[in-house]
Amino acid sequence: MAKAIRSLQIRHVDAGSCNGCEQELTALTGRDYDIQRHGIDIVASPRHADSLIVTGPVTDTMALPLERVWETIPRPRVRIAFGNCAIGTGVFQRAYASHGGLADSDIEIPGCPPHPETALRLLSEWMTSHQRNRQTYVSKVTNLGNC
Amino acid sequence: MPDSWQQANRDHKAAHHELLTLTASSDRCLRTVWLNPFDNQLSVAEMEITQGCFPSLAVNLPETAWDEREIHDMFGWTPTGHPDLRPLIRTPRWPEAYFPLRKSQQMPQWLEVEPDLPSLKVEGDGVTIMKVGPTHAGIIESGHFIFSLIGENILHLDAHLFQNHRGVEALLEDTTVNEVAPLVTRICAADTVSNQTNWASAVERLAGFTPAPRTVLQRIILLEAERILSHLNDLAQIPAGVGFQVAHQRALALKESWQRSLEFLYGHRFLFDTVHPGWTRSAPADLLLNSLANLRRHWVPWRQLVVGHHGFADRMGGIGQTTLAQIDRFGAQGVAARAAGKTFDARQSTAYYEGFFTGPVTRSAGDVQARFDVRLDEVEASMQIIESAAGQLEIESPTEPEFLAPKDLSGRIVTFTESPHGLNSHDVTLSNGNVFRYHIRSAPFRNWPLLAQTVAGNAVADFPLINKSFELCYSCTDR
Repeated sequence: MAKAIRSLQIRHVDAGSCNGCEQELTALTGRDYDIQRHGIDIVASPRHADSLIVTGPVTDTMALPLERVWETIPRPRVRIAFGNCAIGTGVFQRAYASHGGLADSDIEIPGCPPHPETALRLLSEWMTSHQRNRQTYVSKVTNLGNC
Repeated sequence: MPDSWQQANRDHKAAHHELLTLTASSDRCLRTVWLNPFDNQLSVAEMEITQGCFPSLAVNLPETAWDEREIHDMFGWTPTGHPDLRPLIRTPRWPEAYFPLRKSQQMPQWLEVEPDLPSLKVEGDGVTIMKVGPTHAGIIESGHFIFSLIGENILHLDAHLFQNHRGVEALLEDTTVNEVAPLVTRICAADTVSNQTNWASAVERLAGFTPAPRTVLQRIILLEAERILSHLNDLAQIPAGVGFQVAHQRALALKESWQRSLEFLYGHRFLFDTVHPGWTRSAPADLLLNSLANLRRHWVPWRQLVVGHHGFADRMGGIGQTTLAQIDRFGAQGVAARAAGKTFDARQSTAYYEGFFTGPVTRSAGDVQARFDVRLDEVEASMQIIESAAGQLEIESPTEPEFLAPKDLSGRIVTFTESPHGLNSHDVTLSNGNVFRYHIRSAPFRNWPLLAQTVAGNAVADFPLINKSFELCYSCTDR
């Protein structure tokens, strides 16, 4: 049975960011953006999360710890690439210890770093256009007939 | 030669000079650059690395221990006599013969093993090992910490950093002069103007170009605007470390309002891409002063809140103490050093700051409170510097000389600035308009080993607080 998405609990992993994306994520939790009023929050454990936000171009040293966090998140779950580096369009893609961004991301939030307003808008839009299924998130736009 | 290498560097340290950089290059040249803070002259010590070895300085100069481990990891050359040659940046996933800063290296094929490195732990009755990271329960950069605890107190901390190592220096060595700026801008969001200014002055000085007075004034304003931004961030995080949410949230709001001003004035919330060789993004003086007045209106009551809060002061006093002797031994820099009484701020050795910089802000206690207080005063000093620089902008004519970096620019130069984190140096070698070697040495690289020393004896629950009061950046350390 599909349910509308009213909340998104996010676990953050830094995989080689310059700390700009972290600062903007922190800004999202402040009173000026206050993501909690949109049902979104950054949580302390992947067990509490239903999504993973990754910043940075995915350094080789963080590649395995990152996937381990992903494996710990209960389904349905969603992978979010936050910022150009994680999307794969940043300036450090060609660096030798960079894996060139987050593979298989479901949501991309562009910017260097993304503006908190952009991030909030894209996350809210994604939540209103998707539904929660037992195993996965499905797009309301393309899969409405199956529900 | 080896003897004179060690002697020369020891002499500089004995004369209280500041180590700007210690690095090697693929042509087997090992080099230190020291700043004499009394006459602002730079001195270079050099030696050629033969048979893959060089004499280690680390026993006498502990501040060089990490630099030498970095050279060992990146070039494969051995500092003979180094007391701790565990890998610093390399992980077991690196191919054995892969040394990224030797020239003509292929992209590595990573081995399918765990990236964990051997750790230094205390063993014995009653000692507990607590591992934290590399991923953390919050919005923090990645680092791996191995604590040896006795009860609730820290006996020893082994900090494994470089999880965020991207390979920035090797990437820079692949670029032409015109491609460097966007990369240097993004090494670290908190020190971006400082890094951009180091690069811009390196090119200008190698090309023999003197930037217009107006350009220099705009750089001073940007450097100070960045200091305010970064200090506001740190000042917001320290109350969070003791659960003082009101002060935390109000400081985040202060920071947000300053970021909105910067976006309005310079087009970017972190001042990325604002300083370039030959020119600098500028903002009208009246708008700048308006933004500053607005910030001050909210800053003053916030400062009153945190300064007058006894519970907050109780949680900061005496926690995470460092001594001036430790600061000197580790060559620590920035706020952490000045909070323990070191009277060095790189702005005093920067010619264009003359008439603007009124001297380093210091405290003597060396604890969390002192580091918090130094930042409070530095924010206000930065506001004053911006005001006086903006006042002079009106006088200077807006016409700027055209500058294009020569296509065949060559030479080696070391530039430095006082970033929000402390002394930040770049050692740049250009050859025919291409980067031959680009070394970035930020203050947190020197301060991390000191942090590990400082936390010993403190409650492990205070580690986040002490860590936040140092506010050591991972990205400009890991690169």
